[in-house]
Formats: sequence, structure tokens, C-alpha cells
Amino acid sequence: MVIDLDKCTGCQSCSVACKAENNVPYGSPEEHTRRLTPFWQKVIAVSSGEYPSVSIDLIPMPCMHCDDAPCVTVCPARATYKREDGIVMQDFRRCIGCKYCIVACPYGARSFNYKEQEEMPYHRPDLPPERADRGPWPFPRRVHGVVEKCTFCFHRIDAAIEEGKKVGEEVVPACAEACPAHAIAFGDLDDPDGNVAQLLSSRQATRLREEMGTSPKVYYLLR
Amino acid sequence: MVKISRSVPTQASPGRRFGISRRAFLKLAGLAVAVAALGRLIKRPALGTIVPADNYPEGEGVITEAYPATSCLNCGTRCATRVRVVNGRAVKITGNPLSQVTEGANCARAQVGLQVLYDPARITTPLRRTNPARGRDTDPGWTPISWDEALAEVSGRLQDLRDDGEPHRLAIFTGLNTVSDEDILRRFARAYGTPNLITADGLDDEAGQAGQWCADGHYSRSAYDLARTNYILCFGAGILESYEPLARSLRMWGKIRRERPNRARVVVVDPRYSVTALRADAWLPVNPGTDAALALAIAHVIISENLYDAAFVSRHTRGFDDYKDLVLGGYAPEQVAPVTGIPAATIGEVAREFAGTRPAIAWRGRGATGWPGGTYTAYAIYCLNALVGSIDVPGGVIYQEEPPYRPLPGLAPDAAASAGLAMPPLDGRGSAAFPAARVVTNHAAEAMLAENPYPVAMAIGVNANFNLTAPGAPRWDEALARLPYYVHISPTVNEMAGFADIILPATTFLETWAYDHSPPGSGFAEVRIKQPVVAPFYNSRNIADMVFDVATRLGGSVADAFGNIGGSAEGLARYRTAGLMPWEELLAAGVWVGPEYQYYKYHRIFDTPSGQFEFLSGNLAAALQKIGEPTGGDACLPHYQPPDFLGEAGAYPLLLTSYQPLLSVNGDSRDYPWAEEMFLVEHGQGWTNFAEINSATAQELGIKDGDEVRVESPFGSLKTRARVFEGVRPGVVAMARGLGANPNEITGVAYDKISGQAARGGTRVRVYRA
Repeated sequence: MVIDLDKCTGCQSCSVACKAENNVPYGSPEEHTRRLTPFWQKVIAVSSGEYPSVSIDLIPMPCMHCDDAPCVTVCPARATYKREDGIVMQDFRRCIGCKYCIVACPYGARSFNYKEQEEMPYHRPDLPPERADRGPWPFPRRVHGVVEKCTFCFHRIDAAIEEGKKVGEEVVPACAEACPAHAIAFGDLDDPDGNVAQLLSSRQATRLREEMGTSPKVYYLLR
Repeated sequence: MVKISRSVPTQASPGRRFGISRRAFLKLAGLAVAVAALGRLIKRPALGTIVPADNYPEGEGVITEAYPATSCLNCGTRCATRVRVVNGRAVKITGNPLSQVTEGANCARAQVGLQVLYDPARITTPLRRTNPARGRDTDPGWTPISWDEALAEVSGRLQDLRDDGEPHRLAIFTGLNTVSDEDILRRFARAYGTPNLITADGLDDEAGQAGQWCADGHYSRSAYDLARTNYILCFGAGILESYEPLARSLRMWGKIRRERPNRARVVVVDPRYSVTALRADAWLPVNPGTDAALALAIAHVIISENLYDAAFVSRHTRGFDDYKDLVLGGYAPEQVAPVTGIPAATIGEVAREFAGTRPAIAWRGRGATGWPGGTYTAYAIYCLNALVGSIDVPGGVIYQEEPPYRPLPGLAPDAAASAGLAMPPLDGRGSAAFPAARVVTNHAAEAMLAENPYPVAMAIGVNANFNLTAPGAPRWDEALARLPYYVHISPTVNEMAGFADIILPATTFLETWAYDHSPPGSGFAEVRIKQPVVAPFYNSRNIADMVFDVATRLGGSVADAFGNIGGSAEGLARYRTAGLMPWEELLAAGVWVGPEYQYYKYHRIFDTPSGQFEFLSGNLAAALQKIGEPTGGDACLPHYQPPDFLGEAGAYPLLLTSYQPLLSVNGDSRDYPWAEEMFLVEHGQGWTNFAEINSATAQELGIKDGDEVRVESPFGSLKTRARVFEGVRPGVVAMARGLGANPNEITGVAYDKISGQAARGGTRVRVYRA
């Protein structure tokens, strides 16, 4: 995934689209204060400087789907794993809710599901991940007491491959689809002629916290 | 059959919101009591739980799936959307790629539409008040009634008023409605005979519109040819937050930054470091209310250094010499720098950049024009476009084409209606107080309280909530409490509904029939359709259907005005869009796109006495002459008027300014958790707003980030939390509108004289620890 910070308008369409697509529950003021609101994708604000030379950057933050993912390394239950195509996944059935991965993740990309089944205002059986209507969602339903995270909308990708559609052009994750500025590009980083590789060769790009050696798979094009 | 649990969301707990919550309001208004007594009048389901039984198929998984095309109404942009409907439930909203105005884009507001549809505060049935006492904290004692009973009572009242020869004593207040509902309400007001159709426009951007009218006769917002522009000089406009059509601006932002070889440059003039400012290339933190001086100083540099488009100015403009004399006489950058707080060198640089990077746009927004004297500010900013020849050229200001709807048949008001229409309107538009105003929304409250020019006997509010959104909001409580009879129409309860005698539950935009289009932006015309993506919930009805019903009950010439135009909301949409494309095709596509925009129409775009672009306004001169005011001096030239401040500087040393963030959904995000939890992206905060204060000011006041503070003006005070923020000018307190403490409650009442725009700027406050 390549996110162009010069095109991004900070509108948060990506974050809302993610919530709608993946049935991620909304939080509450209490959860907000305690930083417990579940987000699979969130726009963060990074500010520096003093008036009048202040600067704030708004950065959309999905899971970075690291090549060397600390969450995968620390998970004692092997609930977090990397698919062959590089997507880092979370198996709700294996997860024991120990939250090691939340601590290990340098990007704060993971959320813990504190919500009880019966208090789920978000219960929508028609949507993934509750029901596998778009590709093989491996987990029967969202459960209390486990860790959740961005999947790059793998259900869309798997369905697209099955239907012979082009991933990155015809089918993209919900956040990329919803971006009004077309700031989020998705595709195969290994394909030298692909859309994302071409974008990366056109401009100066960076990855977040590269010094941690995680090899994140989300690149940011600078302004 | 799958049973859906209707559990109460955890967010319902007290203290969820900092200001008055809608649920708390419900309790105050006695609705909660009524619910207990009468068995769920106001259902409070969570997102995705309400489905009429017959629409919900048996079985598991996806049984039925559809993507009907409709459009949004979470702001005036009214973007084309497609809604994914699974098993009879709306589950996701995406853009409609056929729309050319937004090129298929939507903003976050559109997606929040799901939570508007499944809003727990929706009204389930017509209600009648039983408690004659009215007030914000008074229990109205609602009792449910049938539609027939409700409409019979409303029509009876309307009939009585007309029989008494006083149809003008009816006021109609409207908030954000579909274009078709706007059309039908305007027609109703005319046929019935009241001049008092009070839209919410006077709270929005009338001064910005009047500024353009002074120059070229178009009383409208400007459309900008964004895709082709190379430079944007933005004065107080929330291009990426609130300026409509919003989704078009967001889409074009991506385009002008990185989808073409030359990247457009953007400079933002705003006392607050808005999202637009932080994404721009430069931020000029101007002194609030001094944008006109800055614009004229920029003109000074452009004219004195001979950087203006002499060919355009000589061929297509009038009054340049007067304008030149004014600008060169009093607005040198060195003179203006201490007024605006922007150094003279910076003014010179920006002016040279603006004139040298064509096509360039000077963009005016509410932050600059929402002041007394706002029309002159808007005029001054708009004239910069003419100086650099950016009028009706690719990449400049363009002129919005109206969609070619099939015209409604002519309307013949009867004697009673004609007499009513001849009465002076309640809000003083066109009078000596507001010579060029089209609507003076906020003044209606004063007129009602003073019973001047006449007492209002009855009012109908359609999706309005002036008690929340108008500066000096508490006056509306008083005005409505005194009103003999008030009918409120909207899908949800709000502050204004608490004063109603009758509440009529309207459908949301996802359950309705309508035709719609965006405010000026694209140049070319585009029509969107609204069709129900799910069957209307509860016992709610379409607004146009209610109007048709009432008109039929009134009979006579009122009923005649509504014959042969479709007979229903659906029929009306069909009638008005006939000739665009076949109905079935329009429903499938959702949009009709007009022919490509034509530039350089100088022979017909200037609607001014001279037929040219006027630096010396003939339109304004005519309006001033009509009320006997002098037109000499700088009265008809764009000039700077030092702002009038409300409140004494010694006691109230700070200046209050309010702004609308992107996730302020139609001014009120209180029931939409997605919007609430991401409300202020710049602060990474949700569920509330703040009093944003510069660190230097905070230090002087001994206030730390996160402190509970009281913001007090001469008109009231409110409690919120302080946010020490480097992105706001020292001496200014900035507050977001739409969630949390309501800055409108402490904003004073002032107007731009020419346009009647309610001025949001200029109220002085003090801030202290609560």
C-alpha cells in the first residue's frame, strides 16, 4: 500500500469506510479517554513547532503488514501469522487475548475487543467478519476478548482473485476505495510494472519507524 | 426469522457528551416518560437493527443484495451515492462513479448516512403536545396521533389563518432539504400567500454571495475550475472541511497536487490552522475580520507593480479607475501590515505569486465573510480574480449552469394569497436595514419577539434547528415559546422540536424520493435522484408527500397549484426530470450529467447595469439608492471596514471564532458515533469540542491543556475543556461547531448589513478556569 500525503486531505473517509466494511464497533467517550476505541485504520495527527511556524501532519494508519512483524514473533498462540501474499492475519479462534502483540506493535495498529457479545450494538450478521459473504473469512464471528486488526480487506482480495479481477485496479481495500483524493494506492509491491511500484519510483517515499527493522509494507509519499 | 437484539448501546450512559446530548434532551423533553407510558414511541435501535418484517428474508448469509443509486443529504453537496443493501438492510455507502461533479468520490459524511438512517432518536409517529407550557426544560407531554388527525389539525389551522385574510402570519423555517423539497415548499408558500419562507441560508454564506453580486450580478457562491487551476489563495474557506461541494474539493485536491505534471500551490489566510491550512503550502494567520484589508493590499501590489491582466480589465470591466485610486490611496502593504498582522514583505510575495501563477483563484469563505461588512470583504476578495483575468477562463472562476428541470406550471395566487405576499417579510429582507438581503434568517427571531411588522400566528419548521445553529441561539427558544402554534417536521427530535405543538416524522434521505443537485462548483449541470433504498421506517412520511396532502386538504387555488405536477414526491421527481433521460435509466444510473462547460461567455455572464464586471458596483448603488443611502465615496467600492466587536475589550479580552469540522454532519453530529469518535482530526480527539487557545494566551491566563474552563461572553457562558493549541492566533479562542458545548449560545447577534448574513465573528469573550 502506498499513501500519498500530498494528496491526503485528512477527511477520514478511510477510517469510516473501514468501520463500515469490517463491522468494527464504534467506541464511547469512556473508551476514548482510556484509548480503548477499536480502530483497524485511523488517521493520526503529528504536530510540531510553535506558532506561527506550527506544522501538523495527518497520517492514515492501517496495519503496516510488516515483513518482519513483531506481533507474529511474540504471539505465544500463533494466532497472528503472515499469509503467503504478505498479509498479516489474526485468527480469533487461536487468540488467547494476552495482548503481547499490542505491546510489540510499534504502530499501535492493533485493538482489543472488550465488547461482550450481548452488548454489541454493531451486531450485523450480514457483514464480514460475521458471515463470509466475500471470500473465505476463516473465523465464524467477531468474539469478545481477542485482538483485532486491519486485514487489507483480504476478503475483497481473495474474492477478486477467484473472480479473475485485477487486484489494485478493479478491487482495492475499503479505505483505498473510499479515499476521495485517491491518495491510497494498493497493489503488488513485487510487480515492477505495477501501480504501486511506479508510484514509489516517482517520488521520495518513506516508511514509518524503519529503524525498528520491521520492513513495513505501507509506504508514504512525502509532500 | 432472525431476531435482532435491541440492546442499548453503551454510549447511552450519562456523561457521554459534554454538552446537551440528544438523549439527555429527550429526557428533558419528557419523551422518555412518554416512551415508558405509551410503549416505545421513540424507538432507540442500534445501527442496523430496524427492518420491517416482510422485507427481511428467511435464512442465513446474503440472500438478497442490491446497490441502488441515490444521493446523500448530510451536507448541501448532496453527493451521488450507491448503497449496498443486504437482506433489506443498508450496510454500506459508496460513491457513484457516474457522478462527474465528485468523480465518484464521497467524503466521510456520506458514509455516516447509515447512522442517520438507523438513528435511535428517530420519531416513530406523529405526536401532539399536551402540556401548554413551553421551554427547553419543559416536558411537552407528547401523545401519539394518527397522520390523518395530525394533518387535519394542521390544515385546519392553515385554513383558519387564510380565512381570516392573514396568510402572511404563517412562517416556514427550513434547514437542509432536498432541492425538490425546497421547490415544493417555495411553491406552497406562494400558493398559500406567505412571504415568510425563512431558509437557513442567512446563517451560512449570504455575504459571500452578495460580494459576487456586487461585482457581476450573480447572487451565489462561486464555482471554481479546480482541475485546471495553478494557484489557490484561500481566505477563510474550509476547502477540505466544510466548503460545499465538499467531496468535489477533496477529489480535486488529489488531482491538482499530484495527478498532473504541474502541482498547484495553495495559500490559506485564516486565524486558525485549519485542516486546509495544514495541507496547504503556506499559512497566513491573519487578524480575525481583517481579510478585506489584506485582499486590497494584495491588489495594491498587483496594480502598482503592473502585474494585472490589462487586457481583461480594459475589455470587460468598469470602475477600474475608482478601484485603483482607492487601493493605491489607502492600502499599501506597509499600512495594512499592522492591521492584518501579516508582514508587508509577505503580502508582497503572495501578491506577486498570485499574479504570476495563472490561472489563479481567490477563494472567499465564511471565516472571512461572516462578519459585519462581510459583503465588502467578499467583494474585495472576488475582485482579485478579475485583476488576474480569472473570470470564466479554464482554471478560474466559472459560472454554474442550472440543471434543465422541466419547469413547474405557472402559479396564480388567489386574492388572499396575493394580499399576503404583498405584506413585508418578517425578516426585513430588502428593507432599509438589509437592502440587498435574500433572507435574514436570524432576524426572524427578533421580529417574532417584537411582533414587528406583525405577530406570527403559526410556523412550520422543516428539518430546521435554529435553536442550535443560529448565533444567539437562546433567542430562538424565547421566540418559539411565545409562538401560538408550531409544527415541526424532521426525522429526529431536536431542540426546535421541543417547542412544537405537532411533530410530523419525516423520512431520512435514504428512504425518500427527490431530485437534487450540488451548490455551484462544477460549472456543468448535474442532477441526482433520491430513491428509497429501504422502505420508510416506522410511520414516517416524505416531506413532499405531506405538502401535497395538506394542499389537497386546503383546496381551492392552493390545491390547484399542486395539481398536475406528479401528485407525490415520486411523481414530482418524475415530472421535473422528464426530458433528461428515461425514468428507469435515471433510477438505475442515479445521475444525469449535463453538457461540457463552455468558457469565455463574456457577452452574457455579467448581470450588472453596465453588462461588464464592475469594480464600482452598479447593483449595490441601486440597492442603496432605493433606501435613500449615499452611494458616493467608497460605498459602492470593495473596501475594508474595521470590524465591530461585541463586548468591551477590557472585560472580554479574547475573540471567539467558531468553525465547522468535516465530521460536523449538517451542524449536529450528536447521534452519529462514527462522526463523534473522530470529530477533531487535528487533535486526534472525539466526542467533544474544545476551547482552543494559543500557548502564549494560555500561559497569560494560567490555563493548562485539558483544564475545564468557562468561556464567557456578554451574552452567556459555557463550560468546556481548554486545548492549548499552536495553530490558533494569540488572543483568539476557536471552537468547533456540531458537538459538545455550543459556541452559538454565547455568540452575539450581529449582521452584515447588505446581505443580512448572521455574523459569527466579532464576539469578545473571556476564558477562566471553571
